[in-house]
Amino acid sequence: MPTRGGPLRTLRLFWVFFRVGAMNELQYRANFIVQIFQSAIALGTGLAVLALVFSQTGELNGWTHAELLAVMGVHFLMGGIIGMAIQPNMERLMDDVRRGTLDFTLTKPDDSQVLVSVREFRIWRAVDVVIGAGVLAYAVSQLQTGITVADPFVFALALLLGALMIYCFWLILTTGAFWVVRMDQIAELFEGVYQSGRWPVTIYPGWLAISLTYLVPVAFAVTVPAEALTGRLTVETLALAAGFAIALLAFTRWFWRFGLKHYSGASA
Amino acid sequence: MTAAESTIHVDALSKTFRVPVREAGLRAAAKSLVHREHKDVRAVEAVSFEIQAGEVVGFLGPNGAGKTTTLKMLAGLLYPTSGVVRVLGHVPSRRESVFLRQITMVMGNRNQLQWDLPALDSYELIRAIYRLPAEQFRETRDAFIELLDLGDQIRKPVRNLSLGERMKAEFVGALLHRPGVLYLDEPTIGLDVTMQKRIRSFVAEYNQQYGATVLLTSHYMADVEALCKRVIVIHHGRILFDGGLADLAARFDSTKTIGVTLRDGVADLSPYGDVIGTEDGKSTLRVPRADAPRITSRLLADLDVADLTIEDPPIEDVIELVFADASRAVDEARTAESAASPR
Repeated sequence: MPTRGGPLRTLRLFWVFFRVGAMNELQYRANFIVQIFQSAIALGTGLAVLALVFSQTGELNGWTHAELLAVMGVHFLMGGIIGMAIQPNMERLMDDVRRGTLDFTLTKPDDSQVLVSVREFRIWRAVDVVIGAGVLAYAVSQLQTGITVADPFVFALALLLGALMIYCFWLILTTGAFWVVRMDQIAELFEGVYQSGRWPVTIYPGWLAISLTYLVPVAFAVTVPAEALTGRLTVETLALAAGFAIALLAFTRWFWRFGLKHYSGASA
Repeated sequence: MTAAESTIHVDALSKTFRVPVREAGLRAAAKSLVHREHKDVRAVEAVSFEIQAGEVVGFLGPNGAGKTTTLKMLAGLLYPTSGVVRVLGHVPSRRESVFLRQITMVMGNRNQLQWDLPALDSYELIRAIYRLPAEQFRETRDAFIELLDLGDQIRKPVRNLSLGERMKAEFVGALLHRPGVLYLDEPTIGLDVTMQKRIRSFVAEYNQQYGATVLLTSHYMADVEALCKRVIVIHHGRILFDGGLADLAARFDSTKTIGVTLRDGVADLSPYGDVIGTEDGKSTLRVPRADAPRITSRLLADLDVADLTIEDPPIEDVIELVFADASRAVDEARTAESAASPR
């Protein structure tokens, strides 16, 4: 990501905001309890649906029970990452645009895109990351095929690319707030679409699979990393993911700057 | 920056907003979904001024005059439609990091400190963004906290602070990087008188200590009187007056106020001028500025005067007069314009 001071600087800023934010959120234990409760319900429902499907059939469009469990694990994991680090920042940005407080961020001597992307962190959503990792580990242990030494690294890379694409998707939509100011429903809209990522996008009809790949990059965020662990991922797909991520980052960068030129702020 | 250039240089600056317009009502709302009509609103028109290093300048004007729009262009938040702005030799809208490090913005009706965090934590975040050396940061922070008498308030979440305390905490945060140019947009709005005074003296102190240039908008004339020797009056996006605060009265208000207390009670003073009030035996007269000395000597000769004062009218009244004058002038100009170019 092009920044003043480079990626290291971005990481450092992220760390400072993370430390301060996490320190404060740790005081509110009720949120932790609520989060565990929510995650447990989501996990229970997910497992029940999977069990229901596999009580009827041995495999779904070529995916076995264990493999679909892996997809579910990645879905949880990525959902946790989005809810922890991406969505809170974007919601804060929308709020700032509406209330005019983005002015403060824009008068800071640092890259504004970086600043609006690292300010918020919802530590309790880490529960989903942990659950997702647990489900994934169990699923992998149940796989008939087993995994190679390289698979976890490829998986991590695919996961990172997926998260970057989801970030770009969110930031592009949120930048739209410069023009329309109110975009309250984005979160619900995204949540709805993201739910479809619970299943590998390859089971959906073509038009939907394409939308879930290029319009809302759910496929790259969930299915592709899951493919890395289930022996399905080809070099071509990984290269496509990398290419698409870079193109999306570049476009997001351009669009953010374009949006800033049109930002007029909430007048006093 | 060349030696000759002012800290803030503004030349023929204009900003036009394109805003959607529609009539009231459901039908119009539905129509505007399909076909949206726009109107150009000229928020700032051909504004020019120079501000030198260390000056504290009051930016006056009624709501919607273009003050905030101008401030935002000076801070690099808005792109000018036309004209030239240079602050400290930089073009603000380029938003160069060296430029942004030297300015700050305080808005009375908005917060930059995080609502749920103690101010102290927000200061740490600000420190990270500006990359302030630890020692300089601590020194500045503690000095400001002391000056503003904030004490332990900075350890409470900002949402638990009173409006005044919050504003003080905001000021500390906004000045931690010791900026040389301050844009203060209604910094004392909604504060009680004591708190206003506190903020004012803090700004004055900062200005002296760091030689900072300050551009201030406020609806409280007390702020302006206490801080600014020079004022720029803006109305309908144009500059009406740029000069000393004292000259403003001389230029726009051709009257003086004479306060008279008589030794033997109240007499009818209407032959001497407009009686605008009588209170506790003191009568207040409004007289033409040029006639003030003559009328004063007549009063002293004719009556048994116990006390007499001659003052400029209150600055609020002067400002009101300026805007009333300007509105009339603008209306007349528009009428003339539309008469000249019939559509």
